[in-house]
Amino acid sequence: MKKRKTFRQRQNRYGYLFMAPWIIGFLVFTAFPFLATIYLSFTNVRQTVRGFEITFTGFGNYITAFFENVEFVPALLNFLRMIIPYTFVIVIVSFLLAYMLNKIRFARGLLRTIYFLPVIIMSGPVMYQIMDSRSSAAVEGIDTFAEFSDIFIVEMIYSYSKQAAMFLIDIFSELSIILWFTGIPIILFINGLQKINPSILEAARIDSANSWQILWKIIIPMIKPIAQVSTIFTIANLGTFSTNPVYDLIKDATEQTTDSLGMASTYAWIYSLIVLIIIGISFLIFRNRDKEGGT
Amino acid sequence: MRHKKLIRLVRIRKLQTFFKLCIYFVLICISFTYLEPIFRMISMALMSGKDIIDPSVEWLPKHLSINNLKVAAQVLNLKKTLFNSIWFSALLAAAQTLVSALTGFALSRFRFRFKRIWFILIILSFIIPVPLLMIPRFMLFIQAQGILGVKLIGTPIPQVLMALLGQGVNSTILILIFHNFFNMIPYSLDEAAMIDGAGQFQVFFQIAMKLSASTVLVVFLFSFVWNWNETYVSGTLVRNSIELLPAKLNIFDSVFQTYASSTRGNAQFRINEAYKMSATLISIVPLLILYAFVQKRFIEGIENTGITGE
Repeated sequence: MKKRKTFRQRQNRYGYLFMAPWIIGFLVFTAFPFLATIYLSFTNVRQTVRGFEITFTGFGNYITAFFENVEFVPALLNFLRMIIPYTFVIVIVSFLLAYMLNKIRFARGLLRTIYFLPVIIMSGPVMYQIMDSRSSAAVEGIDTFAEFSDIFIVEMIYSYSKQAAMFLIDIFSELSIILWFTGIPIILFINGLQKINPSILEAARIDSANSWQILWKIIIPMIKPIAQVSTIFTIANLGTFSTNPVYDLIKDATEQTTDSLGMASTYAWIYSLIVLIIIGISFLIFRNRDKEGGT
Repeated sequence: MRHKKLIRLVRIRKLQTFFKLCIYFVLICISFTYLEPIFRMISMALMSGKDIIDPSVEWLPKHLSINNLKVAAQVLNLKKTLFNSIWFSALLAAAQTLVSALTGFALSRFRFRFKRIWFILIILSFIIPVPLLMIPRFMLFIQAQGILGVKLIGTPIPQVLMALLGQGVNSTILILIFHNFFNMIPYSLDEAAMIDGAGQFQVFFQIAMKLSASTVLVVFLFSFVWNWNETYVSGTLVRNSIELLPAKLNIFDSVFQTYASSTRGNAQFRINEAYKMSATLISIVPLLILYAFVQKRFIEGIENTGITGE
């Protein structure tokens, strides 16, 4: 006699049936490569007629990456110098924009459409061309510092600390590039702001809180989970975006398939580890504050 | 007494309007910063050779010409690359939509073992940087090429396969959109169908998919756009054998050397710049047109991922 399956068994079976393509894909194209890259980063891969010849070299590749290759460490530092300030600016600016957009009625849809536009057109080559045109304009004779040095505040900061001033100038001269990354975070923030229960804000207002207090004591704590999602999203987005300097190195190494695949995976692994660490740190930052809040 | 109160009220109103105007001012200024690169492209693309060299022309060209666009289109080999980009992205998008729908349905409808773990893995797979995975993937396909005796690298097969197995561009977001939408369809609808004798696959195709036509469209469009803009994976796996528009833009500089080597110096630089900007403009115009028609859906799509919900 055929035994009827229980409800739970059927659920289990169908669940896995529907998930099957994704699970297979994940195992073959994500989990396996993830582990394989770690292994390959310790080896030297040579492509021969018969296939790949893999020889174990220990930390050889890492030593080459950090001490022998002149390009890798500067590229990595450049990347760090880009991703950390960019992430801060992107998350804060997109929160501010979302907060302001939430305050107005008229033309809100239009403005939101404009802010979201870059998500659609942003691709590596497009960004490359735009950045390239800017940097070559700078070479052509327009010094970025000269452009900003007339502004009093910049001069003030400059006299206090040269680095801080340069840092600010960097951010402002790249502002429209940075803004292009804010599309999705803005939508997330607006959505979050609209979900805050208006009666809470009303209660606060009855207790005579002004908007400044409401912003800091109610809105920001409530929006924190979304800020976390946005931060992680932004880091992942910047980290996988193809204008960053480390990508070129990895790509060059991948394309010379004869014997540099091992080296390429070392680069890729170091790079990814750094991105993952940054994401981990951002995770911790948000988590700790939650505990202090006592919720 | 009452009079004074009224004055105060009016004053508050005035202050509020003032604040609103300030907000509009800031937001409009910022929206110009967003659009500045696009305006720059349009203005440079429409300048004639004279205007480009003329330093007094900053934004508005004095003599309109579409010569730049013509040259850029020719160098980009526009007809062919545009067609290639469209079918290539659409193919990948279709594959991604199907698999995201299946996965989203599984996550929203069934309780299976380790569901939480799979869910977390889906989200984690978004964070892993692509270059980390590309090298073994590439080697895998080369090995498969050797074993099967079929040419894989240089054809769309590897990417289609990856998309079909749910590992395409930003798959996680697409799955989340579907997951959230299916969660909104009441389960009693499925039950009614099952009482009438429908199987799970029938429920999926006849009920869930038919109800979610608009979601399918959103996911397809997102996937299309992202696949269009994606150059790293396709650059490694497809290379130059299928000429795609963004990839062509990537190597525009080198292709272009042959076209404008007659003029020299600063003028030459400016002219090159104009050609490059025109090419960039051409490569984003199809997306701009798409966005003009369905922008609301894109934004709603992100809102419906439900990442903000919990």
